[in-house]
Amino acid sequence: MLVLDQIHTYYDRIHALKGVSLTVERGEIVTLIGSNGAGKTTTLRTISGLLKPRAGNILLEGAPIDELPAHEITRLGISQSPEGRRIFARLTVEENLEMGAFARSDKAGIRQDMARVLELFPRLRERLHQRGGTLSGGEQQMLAMGRALMSRPRLLLLDEPSMGLAPLLVEQIFQIIRNINEQGVTILLVEQNAHVALSIAHRAYVMETGAIVLAGPAADVLASPQVREAYLGG
Amino acid sequence: MRLRSFQRGLRIGAIAFAILTYLILIGLPTRLGVVAMPVLALLTALIFWVALRGGKSKQALAYRAPAPLLLTGATAGLVAGLLTAALIAGFARLLAAGVNVQPYLDKIVPMNIAALYGVMPGAVVTGDLPAWSWLWQAILLTLAGIVGVLLVLSERALRQRTWSTGGTLRWLTILLPFILLTFVIWLGNPDVTLGGNNRGTLRLLAAMAAIGSALFALRAARPGREQRVLALLLLLGLAYLPFTLDQFQNSVMGIVFIFVMMGLGLNIVVGFAGLLDLGYVAFFAIGAYVYAFLSAPFASPAFSALLTSLGIPADGPLISFWAAIPITMLTAGLGGVLLGIPVLRLRGDYLAIVTLGFGEIIRLFMLNMSDLTNGPRGLLNVAPPYLFGYSLGNPRDIFILALLGAGVIAFAAYRLDGSRLGRAWIAMREDEDVAQATGVNLVQTKLLAFAIGALFAGLAGQLYAARQTNIFPDNFTLFVSVDTLSLVIVGGMGSIPGVVLGALALKGLPEVLRGIDEYRIVTFAALLVVMMIVRPEGILPSTRRRRELHDIGGPASESAALEPALPSDYRTLDGGKP
Repeated sequence: MLVLDQIHTYYDRIHALKGVSLTVERGEIVTLIGSNGAGKTTTLRTISGLLKPRAGNILLEGAPIDELPAHEITRLGISQSPEGRRIFARLTVEENLEMGAFARSDKAGIRQDMARVLELFPRLRERLHQRGGTLSGGEQQMLAMGRALMSRPRLLLLDEPSMGLAPLLVEQIFQIIRNINEQGVTILLVEQNAHVALSIAHRAYVMETGAIVLAGPAADVLASPQVREAYLGG
Repeated sequence: MRLRSFQRGLRIGAIAFAILTYLILIGLPTRLGVVAMPVLALLTALIFWVALRGGKSKQALAYRAPAPLLLTGATAGLVAGLLTAALIAGFARLLAAGVNVQPYLDKIVPMNIAALYGVMPGAVVTGDLPAWSWLWQAILLTLAGIVGVLLVLSERALRQRTWSTGGTLRWLTILLPFILLTFVIWLGNPDVTLGGNNRGTLRLLAAMAAIGSALFALRAARPGREQRVLALLLLLGLAYLPFTLDQFQNSVMGIVFIFVMMGLGLNIVVGFAGLLDLGYVAFFAIGAYVYAFLSAPFASPAFSALLTSLGIPADGPLISFWAAIPITMLTAGLGGVLLGIPVLRLRGDYLAIVTLGFGEIIRLFMLNMSDLTNGPRGLLNVAPPYLFGYSLGNPRDIFILALLGAGVIAFAAYRLDGSRLGRAWIAMREDEDVAQATGVNLVQTKLLAFAIGALFAGLAGQLYAARQTNIFPDNFTLFVSVDTLSLVIVGGMGSIPGVVLGALALKGLPEVLRGIDEYRIVTFAALLVVMMIVRPEGILPSTRRRRELHDIGGPASESAALEPALPSDYRTLDGGKP
């Protein structure tokens, strides 16, 4: 479904991604793990068009998307829940969700998806008319994911959904991620919390300083001594 | 507890006295003549109201019991009253002792201080007024303090019942503009002597209050038929105003509504899209100059020479006012796009500085391109609008045109606010990256904000040129941008009725109070500072903005299973906890 082929991305002169290649197949949960500054978020931002690669190709269903501006990539069915959630703090929960469907014009479908999202995240229904900024961290994460789902994406990019959340809540969130995937949404999940991420993913990539250093089925990656030592505390 | 209420009263009373002394020193009572007493008493009551409700910490005060509140209010009123009375008595003593106070006072005040609350110290000395009359002052101000308490209590009662669920106060709010309108018309009767020499000022003030209260009335009305009927009636009343006001009053109203047109345009750029534009005067200037070229080509040496060489006569208007509208608007809109392109990547402070420069560049261009713009000598004899051969250049017609223009722009802004584009602006204002990720085309959205804002400023500029008939680069300084931005902020960013109210307060009031005009900048600054503390969302905010700045959505969730949010994710402007 999504193919990254030898992607190089720069921040001015800093070479952030040094030839990243990965694939995501339809229906999968693929996780991208690695330490701080490895280039995980940069990879996601490059896919969603907020950063432009200087070399390499990104293909969605075989068609190149690396030249397109971000808002058009959204229209093609890639949606992102950004790092640090970045919800619209001064809009209500409902308005945040409506904003997620900005690229769409099918009113009936939007209403349907709103109901679906509120079913996935019942907490959001309780807070529908509250400002986004007044939500707790966990609720904000749910809102960010819900907003991303409102564009009815084929591919959902999740950036650090566990960031700053209590362990119990992380478990909840990841259960929901699995539900979303079971409803047919392909997911590319970036995480620092390697253990949880590997437990729900089908396949995994491990990144280090701008390059993929290990790839394979999640179970194999979880079992690899390299990963155990580096990310899972031995 | 009682002691603290008393101390609070002392403090508030002293502050009120300071404000009153300031107003007296700048000559406000003399401007108002006979009505000075009631107006100042009312003003004092309003000051007490704001002070007693405790500004920002609304919640803290909202549940203070009426009894201590009354103690605070009465103390405050008494303190302000006694201090003012002492001031008057002091002057009276000095006068009685034969000291000629007036020359000293004249040095520090723009006008004489005699009409201190209508009680003249001199009159007390000469025996024209009984000596105890200054006591009246103390009583009046104590009453003002109690009225302030009542205002706080009624506001609280109103808040608990919510604004739109009925009650006498709601009907009073709805009726108030009509009462004021009747007052305006009644004052127009030459037999009425109320206000004496200041009758005109009083009338203008009442007319502006009528327009302002109409905005509150509309908000108080129930949505639906009630609101529609009220809107229709208010429009009829508004339409009648130009025909009852005199030349001067109409000319003040004309300039106020030209600024409403400007404010509505800037409100789109700053309020809706969140792009801080400090060079907005540029589009106003473009509108004015383009219309001047079209209607008085002979005024510009280079332009008239060009026309003559093309065989077009340049001794009269090229096209009518009406035909010029699309041209001036489109030219200004093009200016907006031209400004927009280079600043696409800029945000916040950087954007403000670049736009500031842009505004100055346009003005300097007008000043220095003498061949084209006649430089500082300006373009003269710009044509007023004509309709069926009649000139619409007099103040009354300009006021009507400005009303129409503001109406059309307000309607357009209202429709834009609810549109897809309006939502894209909000999202962009909140977070550009995420907006883009949800499918907002940033380039297009930003340029449209600049262009639409500029279109409206262009129209306002054209009307301004037609009103002035002579325009100079000096008409288009940075201060026009600053004034426009101030009125948008004071009215309430993003709020359409707020713009009207802001224009009345910042462009209309200084005209009424010509005497304090020198203090305009000080008044502005003071008003802005007070506004930002007491009511950061503006006088008449849009409902969304009000929600943004005060937690109307209810307190944050207290659920034990969910931990607090990351504070770095967002800002809360009210300084409250997320």
